[in-house]
Amino acid sequence: MSDRTLPRILQTPAVLLLLVWMIVPLSMTLYFSFIRYVLNSTVRPEWTTPSLSNWRGFGNYAYVLEAKDFGFAIMNSVFIVVSILLITVILGLAIAVLINKSFPGQGIVRVLLISPFFVMPAVNAVLWINMILDPVLGLQGLAVGGINSLIDGLRDWPILGHFFSMWPQVEPISFRATQTSSYAVIMMVAWQWTPFAVLIFMTSLQSEDESQKEAAVLDGASNWSQFINLTVPHLARSIAIVVMIQSIFHLSLYAEIEIVSRGNGNKNLPYLIGEFANNNIGAASATGVFAIILANIIAIFLLRLVGKSLMD
Amino acid sequence: MATVTQTSRLGTVLRPTAAWIIALIFFFPIFWLVFTSFKTDADAVQAEHLFFFTPTLENYTNMTENYDYWRFAMNSVITSSFATLFAMAVGVPAAYAMAFNPSRHTKDILMWMLSTKMLPAAAVLYPMTFLTKNILQIYDTHFLVILVLCLINLPIAVWMLFTYFKEIPKEIIEAGKMDGVSTWGEIKDILIPLAWGGIASTALLTFIFCWNEAYWSVRLTTINASTLSTLIEGNRAPEGLFFGRLSAVSTAAIAPIVVLGWFCQKQLVQGLTFGAVK
Repeated sequence: MSDRTLPRILQTPAVLLLLVWMIVPLSMTLYFSFIRYVLNSTVRPEWTTPSLSNWRGFGNYAYVLEAKDFGFAIMNSVFIVVSILLITVILGLAIAVLINKSFPGQGIVRVLLISPFFVMPAVNAVLWINMILDPVLGLQGLAVGGINSLIDGLRDWPILGHFFSMWPQVEPISFRATQTSSYAVIMMVAWQWTPFAVLIFMTSLQSEDESQKEAAVLDGASNWSQFINLTVPHLARSIAIVVMIQSIFHLSLYAEIEIVSRGNGNKNLPYLIGEFANNNIGAASATGVFAIILANIIAIFLLRLVGKSLMD
Repeated sequence: MATVTQTSRLGTVLRPTAAWIIALIFFFPIFWLVFTSFKTDADAVQAEHLFFFTPTLENYTNMTENYDYWRFAMNSVITSSFATLFAMAVGVPAAYAMAFNPSRHTKDILMWMLSTKMLPAAAVLYPMTFLTKNILQIYDTHFLVILVLCLINLPIAVWMLFTYFKEIPKEIIEAGKMDGVSTWGEIKDILIPLAWGGIASTALLTFIFCWNEAYWSVRLTTINASTLSTLIEGNRAPEGLFFGRLSAVSTAAIAPIVVLGWFCQKQLVQGLTFGAVK
C-alpha cells in the first residue's frame, strides 16, 4: 500500500460521515424551500406531502421576507450575539488581567470561576429565569419586596417619613416578555461564557513578554497605556478565537430563548425556523436557507480573521 | 520607591480580594441552585426562609417519583458515552493521518470540518425529523441521538486531536515505520501512549458537550431516548410552585459534568483554541 492511500483511508470515515451529515439534510432543505409544503391543510391536502408538482419557485422566500418577524429575528440574532461578545470580551479581559498574578487560593478561584461554563444550557436558563430573575418569587422579586417593605417602614418615621413617602415603590422587572427577555438571555449566556474568555486570556497572558513591560515602565508608560499598547495586541489572537468560538455557539442559541419566553418578544433565526416548522415547512426551509447564508457570511469573515493563525 | 510599595500592596491585598469576590459572584448562581435544592417547595419561595430553613433531602429522594430522573440520566450516560466513543474511534485515525501524512488538501479539509459547525442546526430541523421519522424510522432511538451527538462533535474532536498529535515529533512515528511496525501498531503502540493526555482531554470535552447538548437531543426524541436536557426543558416554567424540587433535579443534572469540568479546565483552553493559545 502506498504512502498516500492509507492516510486517505484513515480519514475517509470522518470526512464521509460529515459530508453525508451536511449534504443530505441541506439538499432536502433546499428542495422544501422551493415547494409548497404544509403539515396541516384541510383546504389543500395535496400540499401536505412534499412533491415537485407543488413547485412554488421563490414564493416561500418572498413570503418569509414579508413575514413580520423575519427582519426582527435577524436584527435580534445579531443584537444578542454582539451584546454577548462585547460583554464577555471586555469583562473577560478585565478579570483576566486582575487575577493573572499568582496569589493565595488562585487555584480555587479558577475552579469557582470556570464552573458556570459547564452548566447545561437548559439548567442555566431555568435557574436564571426562575430562581434568580422571577419578579415575584425569584431573588429579584424577594429583593424588591424587601426594599419596598423597608421604605414602607421608613415612612412611619416621625419627621423623615415625609421625605421617604415621596419615594416611589420599586417595581420588579419581568424578564419573561417583550424586549427584556432578550436581556435575560444575554445575561445568562454572558454569565456562562465570560469564564471561558477569562481562562483563555489568562493562558495567553502568561506568555506575555515581561521585559517589554519593564522597558515600558522605565519609559514612564502608564498602566493603561501598557495595557492598550502591549497587552491588547498580545491578546489579539486569543480575542479573535474567543469571538469565533462564541459566534459558532451563540448564532444557534435556542434552549435559552425557548425557556425564557418561548420566543415572545425575543426570537432569533433558529427560533423563527422552529416556529415555521410547526406547520409551514416551505417557509421554515426558506428561512433556513437565509440562516445558512447569514452563517456563511459570518463564517467566511471569521475564518479569514482566525483561520491563518490556527494553521501556524 | 513609594510607588513600588503601593503596587505591591495592591498586589498582595487588593488583587486577591477582588479576584475572590469576582469568583464568588460568578459561582453564586450555582451555589444558590444547590442551596435551594435543600429547601421544601414552600420554603423556597418565602422571604423569611431565604437563608434560614430546615434543610431537607426530600427533593432528592422524591426525584424518581417527581421527574423519573434516573431514566433520563441513564439516557444521558448512554448516549454521551457511546457518542464520545464513536467520535474518538473515527476521529483518532483521521487526526493521525492529517498530522503525520498531510496532503495538499489537509488544511482545506480541516477548515471545511470546522465550517460544518457553523451551519445553523435549525436550518435542517425539519429534514432531519422527516428523514429519521418517515424514512429511516430511527426517530426517538438511542442510536439516533448517539449518531447525531457524535457527528456534531466530530469536527471539534478532530481539530483538538490534530493539534495534540502535531506536537509529537514526526521522527518517533517514522522510526516505528523503519522498524516495520504496521499502521495499526503505530497508532496502538506509539501514538496512543504518547498522546494519551490529549486523547483523554478530547474525550472528556466531547463527553461534556454531548451531555449539555440541548437542540437535537430535545427535538429528535419524544420519550424513549430523551436526555436530561429534555427533562429540564420540559419543566421550564413551574410558576414558582416547585423551586425546591426543580433545583434538586437541576443540581443532579449538572453536578457530574461540573465536577468533571474542574479536572479538565486546563486542557479546555488548549483544546478549544486548537492549540493557538499557549
